[in-house]
This record gives sequence, C-alpha cells and structure tokens, in this order.
Amino acid sequence: MTDASAQFEGRGRPSLRVQDARTRRRNAAEKRFRAYGLVAIGVGILALFVLLASIFGNGSSAFFQTKIQLQVPLEEKALDKSGTRDPEAMKKVTTVGYGRVLKAALADLIAREGIEIDGLSKRDIDSFLSKEAPAQLRNHVLANPDLIGTTIAFEVMTNGRIDGYFKGRVSLDSAELDSNVSPAQLHLADALKDRGLLGTGFNLDFLTAPDASDQRPEAAGLGVAIIGSAYMMIVVLCLALPIGVAASIYLEEFARKNWLTDLIEVNIANLAAVPSIVFGILGLAIFINFAGLPQSAPIVGGLVLTLMTLPTIIISTRAALRAVPPSIKDAALGIGASKTQAVFHHVLPLAAPGILTGTIIGLAQALGETAPLLLIGMVAFVREYPGAPVEGFFDPASALPVQVYNWTQRADPAFVERASGAIIVLLAFLVVMNTIAIVLRRRYERRW
Amino acid sequence: MNDMRLMERSAMTNDVKISASQVQVFYGESHAIKDVNVDILDKTVTAFIGPSGCGKSTFLRCLNRMNDTIDICRVEGRITLDGEDIYDREVDPVQLRARVGMVFQKPNPFPKSIYDNVAYGPKIHGQVRSRDELDEVVEKSLRRAALWDEVKDRLSAPGTGLSGGQQQRLCIARAVATSPEVLLMDEPCSALDPIATAQVEELIDELREQFSVVIVTHSMQQAARVSQRTAFFHLGNLVEYGETGQIFTNPGDPRTESYITGRIG
Ligand SMILES: Nc1ncnc2c1ncn2[C@@H]1O[C@H](COP(=O)(O)OP(=O)(O)O)[C@@H](O)[C@H]1O
Ligand SMILES: [Mg+2]
Repeated sequence: MTDASAQFEGRGRPSLRVQDARTRRRNAAEKRFRAYGLVAIGVGILALFVLLASIFGNGSSAFFQTKIQLQVPLEEKALDKSGTRDPEAMKKVTTVGYGRVLKAALADLIAREGIEIDGLSKRDIDSFLSKEAPAQLRNHVLANPDLIGTTIAFEVMTNGRIDGYFKGRVSLDSAELDSNVSPAQLHLADALKDRGLLGTGFNLDFLTAPDASDQRPEAAGLGVAIIGSAYMMIVVLCLALPIGVAASIYLEEFARKNWLTDLIEVNIANLAAVPSIVFGILGLAIFINFAGLPQSAPIVGGLVLTLMTLPTIIISTRAALRAVPPSIKDAALGIGASKTQAVFHHVLPLAAPGILTGTIIGLAQALGETAPLLLIGMVAFVREYPGAPVEGFFDPASALPVQVYNWTQRADPAFVERASGAIIVLLAFLVVMNTIAIVLRRRYERRW
Repeated sequence: MNDMRLMERSAMTNDVKISASQVQVFYGESHAIKDVNVDILDKTVTAFIGPSGCGKSTFLRCLNRMNDTIDICRVEGRITLDGEDIYDREVDPVQLRARVGMVFQKPNPFPKSIYDNVAYGPKIHGQVRSRDELDEVVEKSLRRAALWDEVKDRLSAPGTGLSGGQQQRLCIARAVATSPEVLLMDEPCSALDPIATAQVEELIDELREQFSVVIVTHSMQQAARVSQRTAFFHLGNLVEYGETGQIFTNPGDPRTESYITGRIG
C-alpha cells in the first residue's frame, strides 16, 4: 500500500525503462502465446509437407510409363484373312492373335539387335510386354484397316514390373522371388534401354484410359473416373445451385420468422453435419431401390451429392444475402420496386460472388466425397466410358475418390503408385476450384 | 379586393395531400406512435422535429408503408393520400411507393452507374417507352436534383463513387425520377457537410413547387430554413403542429418551447 502510493508521488517514480513485475509477467505471457502459435502453425505445415511429399513421392511416377518402340509387321494372312479390310470381318481376330504378332516383333527385335542374355526364356519374352498391349494394337488397326500389309512403328507398354524396375519399385533381388518377373527380363530391359529402344515417357493415358484389371496396373487410367466425377459435378451444380439459392432467398427474404422457419433453419444446420455415409444409405433406398435408377450411375451419385451439398450452399447463400446492406433493399423498395424486384435486381447480384464461392466450396467437398458413392455402387469396375450427356449420366461410371479407394485395395504394389497419382489429380482439381473461389471472393468483395 | 382573391386561391392550392388520423404504431409490444393526427399539405415543405427516438422516422415510414417490411411493426388508424386510405386491404404498397417517394438518412445509391440509378424507377414502373424518353427523364431528374452539371460527363460511372453530398442528391434524383407526388426525406443531410447540406436545402425549396415534401430533421435551424410547416414529436406523441414561424417564435406547448430552447433533446 504505502509502497504503491510512494511510487506515484512525483520524483520517486521508477524509470519507464525498468519493467515492473506486472509488465514482465504480461510480456512473458505474450511471448509464450506467440510461441504456442508458432508451434501450432509449424506442426500444421509439417503435416501438410509430409502428406504432399509422400503423395507426390509415390504418385508422380504414375504420370510416366515405360514403353518400348517396336517395328510391327501387320501381315494380311494373320490379321485379315478375308483380305477385305472390312473392320467387321477383321474383328474375328482377337487380342490373342495380335499378342502373337507383338511377341514375334519383340523376339525379332532382340535377334536383330543381337542381344544375348543368359536364361532368357521364350516365356520371359512373351510376358515382357503389357497384357494390355495387344488390345491397343488391335484397336489401332481396326481404326485404320489400311495399315494391314505394312510394318508400323508402334509404342508398346511394358509389363508393370519392368516399369516398376525403372521406377525403383522392383530390383534384381526382388525379381528372384517374384513369379511375375525374372532377372533375365530386367537385364533385357536394361539392354534395350542402352540401345535407346526402351524409355520412360509422359503417360497421358493415365488421365484418359479406363481402369484395368489386377494383372495390368500399367494400363490403369482415370478416364472413366474423371468423366464420372465431372458428370456428377454437373448434376450437383444444376440441381443444388438453383434449389439452394431459391430456398435461401425464400428463407432470407420472404419467409415470415416463426417457429416453422426456425425449425427449418435448425434442420438445415443439422443436415450439414450429417455424416456423408448416411446420405449414401438414403440414396440407395430412395434413388435406386425406390425410384429404380441404375446402380453405379453418375445421376444417382450426383443426386446423393446434391443432398449433401445443399446445406452448404444454403448456409453460404444466406450469409451472402445477409451481408448485403439492407439500405440497398430499402432504396429499391422506396422507389416502388416489389420485393421480388428488389431481391433479384439488387440483392442477388451483390450476393452472387458469395453464393458462387459457397457453391464452389460445396462442389469441392462433393468432388472429394467417397463414402456415399461406395453405397450406391460407384465402386464397381468400369471399363466402358459412359456416353455423352445426358444419357451418359445413366451409364455406369466411377469417380475419382472411389478410384483411389479401389486402387488401394488391389494387391499389386504398382497400384499404390496409381492411387497416389489419382490423389494428385484429385488434389489438382480441388486446388483449382478453391483458387477460383478465393479469386472470386477477393475480386468482388464488398463493392458497395 | 383582387389581392384577397389571389390569396384565397393560393391557399386553396395548398390542399391536404396526406391526412393521418389516430395513427398508432407498435413494434411488438412497444407503442412507438400514439394518437397522431396530422394533415400534410400539397406543395409545402413539412418538417418533423423532435428528440431522437421520439418516432419521427417511424411515422414518416408509415406514409409510404415502408414499415410493412418490418415484421414486428403494426400500424393502426387511418392515413389517406388524396382521400384514399393507403392501408386499405386493396392498396398495393408497391404502387403507393411510386407516388410517395423516399430519401433515406444515409445516401444509398445502388452500386450501379449514375444513369442506371436514376433510370431504375421509371424502368420498373414502365413510365418510359423508349431509350430517348428514358435519357430525357434521367437528365430532367438529375437537373432537378442540381446534379446534372457535375455528372453529365460520367453518367456511366458508378454512383457509389460520388461524394457524400452528390450521392444524396443522386438519391433525390432517383426518387423524383418516378415523378412522385410526395417526397419523404428522413434526415437527408445528417451525413453531409455544411456545403452539401446547403445545396440539398436549396434543392428542397425548389422541389416544393412540384411536390409535397416531408422532411425529418433534428436540426431546428434546418427546419426553420426549409419548411413552411413544422410538427414537433415527443415520446411518440405529436405535441404541436403548425406554421413553422409560429412554432419557433411562439410555441403553444411548454415541451416544444423546452426543446427549441435546448432544454430537452
Ligand atoms: N425496427 C424497429 N424495431 C423495434 N423498435 C424500433 C424499430 N425502429 C424504431 N424502433 C423504436 O421506435 C422508437 C422510435 O424510433 P424512430 O422512429 O427511429 O425515432 P426517430 O427517428 O425519431 O429518432 C424508438 O424507441 C425505437 O427504439
Ligand atoms: Mg430517425
């Protein structure tokens, strides 16, 4: 008491340069808090970095593929016995026939180049190429029947293990123990590579090709999944945006505030928190079992994701509408605009950037959603591309996140690379969408 | 003799435009306006004065039914425009507001071009048939609001880019563009500097030739400068209403006198 009062008496005051105990404690608390903050941010960044490093480390190689350059003679007697060049007739030759042609071409190449490798059996040569290669050659020839009778240069995928050898997944030691690949094959691959006949290049097929079976990871691609996801996003956008915006405008601008609207409000908030798998069960029960829509179809996936996205869109739209200053609406009403005119001419345009941002974020959520799609059968193995819109919405398709899930379930380690590659693609889409949302928000933020 | 008749006639043209009787306004349970009776004359500036929170804005907003937009607000009594009850069930407030325009306390131009701000009213009411006609209305309205010379070269610039005083005059131009009969102004100068205030006041005096103007103000000097008639509100009651000169020089109610001399407010 006396101390404190003495301090405040004129000359006896301590210098400002000396911190008193209280100030020291406050400064220490502030320093501690800053340290906590830095640690928290550091942990977050570290986790993100580890995640990205592992995904890119595993997945970036999915965009590259080992291929071999072959001279393939397309003999008429083997591939077009009728000699008519009629694709219908040529279809009689199956992939087995084309496989024989490719194997012969490879054996020929080895002989021509004078490559001698101990213990290289005929079986080793036969299984050197991807099982998908004959089908690719067949499609190519059926599309261009005039090639029959010529020798074409054709780039052929190698078997996934050979590909894995160049990506560091397979080694000579592991090949000893692996029934799917022999050390002799790897020596052959090295020899071919030395001669510049075999190389690893960019693999656009990863983005365009359909999924492939367990035995041919090298051929598996995201084509069907990307189309399926795109179709679902179209369905979600076309349904969730208008419904969500209409519902929000009604609730925000027209509905009287009473217990019923309160109830609806609570329900919308709750709906946003419902686990996504519940929507999957709902979709299975309503859209497939009751409405009889086909399984695995983007339309069903889109409908389910619409239900999931609606609360997000409604909540963000209402926030955007509420953020428009009421004076703008008053101004419109004051000169005799009707409520609808005031909303559509003035409030909605000002809220549009916020609505779009919310919609894009909702779509991004929907794009990454997996659980409900598993329940409605989008996890099926689909090799056929769905048709063009709108009929294509009813064809079976896959979806990006489900494809990731699907590939992580496969036995062959080559699918780990594929799954990580698919995650990269998914992340790329999400980053683009979120960037658009941020740019929109920045650009149109509060213009009034 | 002749003089007398002329004076009578000019008094005759000052017809009653809006007549309110026994108006009560409630916000939920709270009684914001109590038993207000007032006749607002045509081609006259009427000022509503009173301490803040006394219900001036509330009563003003009754005159074009802007209170309808507030859920909890309830209006009782009878308000007529040219003898027609504006709270009649068959009256569409939207149509009413085209005839009774409003200018708000804070300038609130639409975040659109100056031209679009003024053109909006005539457009939605279908008052113009061609682009030329619309151009004409826009120019006339901006001239009336004494803004034309300042903005004629940048009609497509956003209205929100104008200065505060210009924005308020733009809002006045927007309100007069629909050619209303009554113009309600709720403290139109409270956000303006003295020079802009003087411009707007001058404008109000000119507008009187065509409209009946009702202005809410908390500045007694302003009321004295621009209005012919003044109504003094206090705690939801209309305490006194009459010729502005009379109210200021010889108030009939002690509360009016206290307010004018600065003892309440
Ligand atoms: N939207 C509203 N909801 C509830 N009460 C209101 C609302 N607007 C005004 N009031 C109340 O009505 C009374 C009169 O307000 P107002 O008309 O704005 O006064 P003034 O314009 O004279 O300052 C005040 O007590 C105010 O609290
Ligand atoms: Mg007020």
